Amino acid sequence: MSRVGANAAKPPYMLSADQLRENDGQWQAYNSTGNCVILAGPGSGKTKTLTIKLARMLAEDVLSPRGIACITFNNQCARELKKRLSALGIVDGRRAWIGTVHSFCLQHIVMPYGHLTKLPIKYPITVASTDEVRRLQEKALNETIGSVRWGPRFDRYRRNHLDRRAREWGLDDEQAASAIERYESLLVERGLIDFDGMVLMGFYLVQGHKWIRKALVARFPILFVDEYQDLGPALHRIVHGLCFEAGIRLIAVGDPDQSIYGFTGAEPSLLRRLARRSDVEAVRLLLNYRCGSAIIRASEVALGEERGFRSSRDEPGALFFHERPIGIEDQAHFICETVIPEALGRRVGRKIGDIAVLYLDKYDGDVMAGAVERTDWQFIRIDGNNPYQPSPVTYWLEDCAAWCTSAWRTGKIRLSELVRRWLAFNESLRTESERQVARSALIKFLHNQRDANMPLNSWLSLFFTNVLQVCLDREPRLRDDKEKVEQLLTATGNGHPLEAFTVAFFGGQGGSPEHLSLTTLHSAKGLEYDVVVMLALEEGRIPYYNDSDDSIREKRRLFYVGLTRARHEVHLVYSGWYSNRFGTFGNGRSRFVDEVEAHLIS
Amino acid sequence: MRISKIKLENFRNFSSVDVNLGDNAVIVGENKIGKSNLLYALRLVLDPSLPDSARKLRAEDFWDGLKRPLSKDDRITIAVDLTDFENDENQLAVLADHLIEPEPMVSRLTYVWQPLPGLTHKPKKDADYEFLMYGGDRPENRVSYEVRQRLPMELMPALRDCEGDLARWTRSPLRPLLDKVAGEIDHDELEKLAKGVEKSTEKVTKVEQVRSVGQSIRDKLTEMVGSAQALETVLRFSPTDADKLVRSLRIFIDGGLRSVADASLGSANLLYLALKTLEYEQFVADGERDHTFLAIEEPEAHLHPSLQRLIFRTYLQARGETKTNDSRKTSTILITTHSPHIASVTPLRDFVVLRASEDGGATEALSTVGLDLTDEDVADLERYIDVNRGELLFARGVILVEGDAEKFLVPVLAHNQGHNLDELGIVVCSISGTNFYPYLTLLGPRGLNVPVAALTDLDPRGPKEDGSPRSPLGPGRVVNQMMSTLVDDATWDANSFDELSNMASTYGIFMNNHTFEVDLFEAGLAGECSEAMAAVAEGEPMKERMQRWASGMDVLDVDVFLSDIETVGKGRFAQRLASLVAESGTVSCPAYVAEGVKHVAGRCKRR
Repeated sequence: MSRVGANAAKPPYMLSADQLRENDGQWQAYNSTGNCVILAGPGSGKTKTLTIKLARMLAEDVLSPRGIACITFNNQCARELKKRLSALGIVDGRRAWIGTVHSFCLQHIVMPYGHLTKLPIKYPITVASTDEVRRLQEKALNETIGSVRWGPRFDRYRRNHLDRRAREWGLDDEQAASAIERYESLLVERGLIDFDGMVLMGFYLVQGHKWIRKALVARFPILFVDEYQDLGPALHRIVHGLCFEAGIRLIAVGDPDQSIYGFTGAEPSLLRRLARRSDVEAVRLLLNYRCGSAIIRASEVALGEERGFRSSRDEPGALFFHERPIGIEDQAHFICETVIPEALGRRVGRKIGDIAVLYLDKYDGDVMAGAVERTDWQFIRIDGNNPYQPSPVTYWLEDCAAWCTSAWRTGKIRLSELVRRWLAFNESLRTESERQVARSALIKFLHNQRDANMPLNSWLSLFFTNVLQVCLDREPRLRDDKEKVEQLLTATGNGHPLEAFTVAFFGGQGGSPEHLSLTTLHSAKGLEYDVVVMLALEEGRIPYYNDSDDSIREKRRLFYVGLTRARHEVHLVYSGWYSNRFGTFGNGRSRFVDEVEAHLIS
Repeated sequence: MRISKIKLENFRNFSSVDVNLGDNAVIVGENKIGKSNLLYALRLVLDPSLPDSARKLRAEDFWDGLKRPLSKDDRITIAVDLTDFENDENQLAVLADHLIEPEPMVSRLTYVWQPLPGLTHKPKKDADYEFLMYGGDRPENRVSYEVRQRLPMELMPALRDCEGDLARWTRSPLRPLLDKVAGEIDHDELEKLAKGVEKSTEKVTKVEQVRSVGQSIRDKLTEMVGSAQALETVLRFSPTDADKLVRSLRIFIDGGLRSVADASLGSANLLYLALKTLEYEQFVADGERDHTFLAIEEPEAHLHPSLQRLIFRTYLQARGETKTNDSRKTSTILITTHSPHIASVTPLRDFVVLRASEDGGATEALSTVGLDLTDEDVADLERYIDVNRGELLFARGVILVEGDAEKFLVPVLAHNQGHNLDELGIVVCSISGTNFYPYLTLLGPRGLNVPVAALTDLDPRGPKEDGSPRSPLGPGRVVNQMMSTLVDDATWDANSFDELSNMASTYGIFMNNHTFEVDLFEAGLAGECSEAMAAVAEGEPMKERMQRWASGMDVLDVDVFLSDIETVGKGRFAQRLASLVAESGTVSCPAYVAEGVKHVAGRCKRR
């Protein structure tokens, strides 16, 4: 009866689906037919389950011209997801949209519908850069409160108090409310929108207009949300409006235990509540394909919760405790001179790219990077003092560099894909002739600069002058990206940290077996390594000396995230003391390390 | 879904057009007025089979009235508004990015042909231009091919080769229909059927005479190219392959007696339309598209009038009848036609009338959508158009009159005044009563804006029972029923009843001094009246009375005069009188008729 003949090839997702069959949770998620929340522990094959399920729904449940929207936590996650989906033959586009919550709100709510409402937005929509946001926030704070040392409270209040007409808005924190109102009016005066503003506007539009919900249901009858625990109340309310009021089918994936963005307004309870709804099927993925059983046990101890995770590995893995009483610099040297070389030797075929050093903040990162620079290893650094901050354009630049290095031969990255993304950046080019000019400028540049060993600075400067600048100056939505590209350009200049970078090196930033990873615990989420080294685990820093009970719980989760990045080895490194600008404090090592070690001994 | 509005700027015949559409569009207008150009404009926006190279226009596609050389600001714009899609999720998914109004939802697709951005000199050649397609009035919001693919416009040109298309399998509209079911039938079942066909075929081919024909073909081939190269020919009805069995079915007409190739032009066209419609419905049902804009150019060319009425009554009315059931609206019909038969079955609100502007420099498009008419008014007008085959819509000018008497006589009177109404394209339309409102609304400046005059009676009334006088009916009718729909709101508010009454003639409203026949009599046609009565009356007293009035022997008794005419039949009297007036060539004519004719004729000549 079927129109698909017996000899017709099965689509890739059907072949991949066989991999899910053995895992009850994954198989249940694959076969779910309604709203579904997938509670996915570390290493539980979450992304695999999500991508195969998405491919299936795109083939079976949602037919053209309708599609699926997939919201991810950040650009990094979106990039990873797109890569995995393209292996299943799914290209990011009208039918399958993949991106951050900010771009979802901007592209699919504010841009198409905002101008038909009374929302205070100027067109074309201009996105404020990080620098502009900082300056305007300072101005607003100065004008209302008279102090600028206040940033985190500001953002959190704005994200958590969504109902501006509710009494709580003014009452909970009068100062915050007035500073935020001032800041927002400054944005409006300048015709700008900031990243939080995109989500807020998205929320107001979805909440306030039935016809917008209706249009979104038609466009995207299914909504995927990844890393739900990190996405905060505004998205939670948007999801509520779209899924439980307007009827979009929801597939949410996340792990409350990995909720570590409380300072941005995220709460693990939102996902837990979602999973308890009667109209939602909750699926737990309990089998951990990543960590050895010893590491899983240790992580549950650190978390203070029994979750019942099981390891799929035979080797239990191991934890190592390293006390370096001389201080954090010594910890860093020790890691470079002893921990990493020994770890490399312990397993045949292990490479420097299989190892990551995790730490709390960018200052730790500076110390660690200083130590690594004295070795022969190349490294990737992800933290606030990264010489440049990632953005969609810098990710794309990395891919361009990878193409110029070798992908033009190997075909790993296709030129057409780079061109497609480039044209998407150039969104205000309206006509074919203008787009043709932009297209050929890019192709000409890339073709002529296929030189893996070219200094990154020369390559980027040429790229900037011949191709990028005109676009970055013009595009109202790329002002933040422009700032980041200029940062990158500066960082590659004489006497700056990336001076020695080549095109090939930069092209490998997306992840390569030859680079040691240095990253904050926060940025390590979603990643995995053979060996994880955690630095500066001092009581008073993790948890922080004046953390509230809630915050301590979040720090536990942060520590938990660090431990569960490791397949085989976890190294916990500490001095028992630390110093900062307020003095030197000797509280011993982190209580979390104590607890883990106590458990191992018993 | 339907097209709610079309806007054109500077495209071919059109300088600036902004026309609202109903459920479908029946586009009428004289030859060369731009009917096909209007469809082509829509194709630029909606037709996926039109290659982008065809979307590159030329200098001559700019409206002729534009000053040459063209300036940098001159551009061609075509905007199509779509609505009634919000309850179809697929259609909404396609159009959600292009909304211009949220409640109810309206989306706009725009095509622009414009000078290249950044051009420093005046555009000189076609290569200095390019086209742009965007949605929702946001030029940065490009319209992708997918929109045209999901909501395609399909054109059936006037000179199509239906027989050819039906006969050639690759082009036959039957093919996709059979292809689909062939894939759905159980394979074993097909095998069984194929074997059955095989058996019967074999019997036929084994008949000695048939077999020998087959053999001689094979022999000839072998002789020509040798056995190695010879084609393996076999005589049979259909391929033995089960998969091809259903696809080898063909349509026969007249109960299987004749093949399509032998069908008349009319039958082939009918069949073609039916199959195409089925095909489009199939596409929507299969999810391959979400709507079809079906444009048919002059379908009357190959169809008998009664078929025209039957087919298009179904096509056009079906939608009106199922207004509540959106799911059935899988297509929008756009027809260009000269056929009064198609016009006669077209719902009033579906008409789009193309006409030269008053200065003749451009084509205007007008429709009746949004006119302030009640359902009863619309029904009246549609009934009128049905009976009179749409002459109102094809006319260059219209003189509205109350009854048949005027309808017979006004053309003759006009002729004697030196206006040949037929040549001018002016029709005299009897509204069979005194309710001018719907007709004037349709034809007046709020509607089709056709040069129009209305001739109405004063209609004096006898005194009330208590002897007090009663005012005549005419003046109230002129102001409240006629002027109310012709003047704009500001004029209406600013003027008193008497002022409006005095202005009536400038708006084409002309009232007489009593009643049509009385006014004729008094305008110097008494002799002709008498002659006519003599010809048609049965009894002598009537003839005599008329004769005495005409000769001035008696003073005209209006009531008796009118009742006598009533007795012989107003129509019959008028017909006779018309012949007499024509023969005599008299220039006598009631002033209000002469003025009405002059009003319309003057405005028609200007166009």
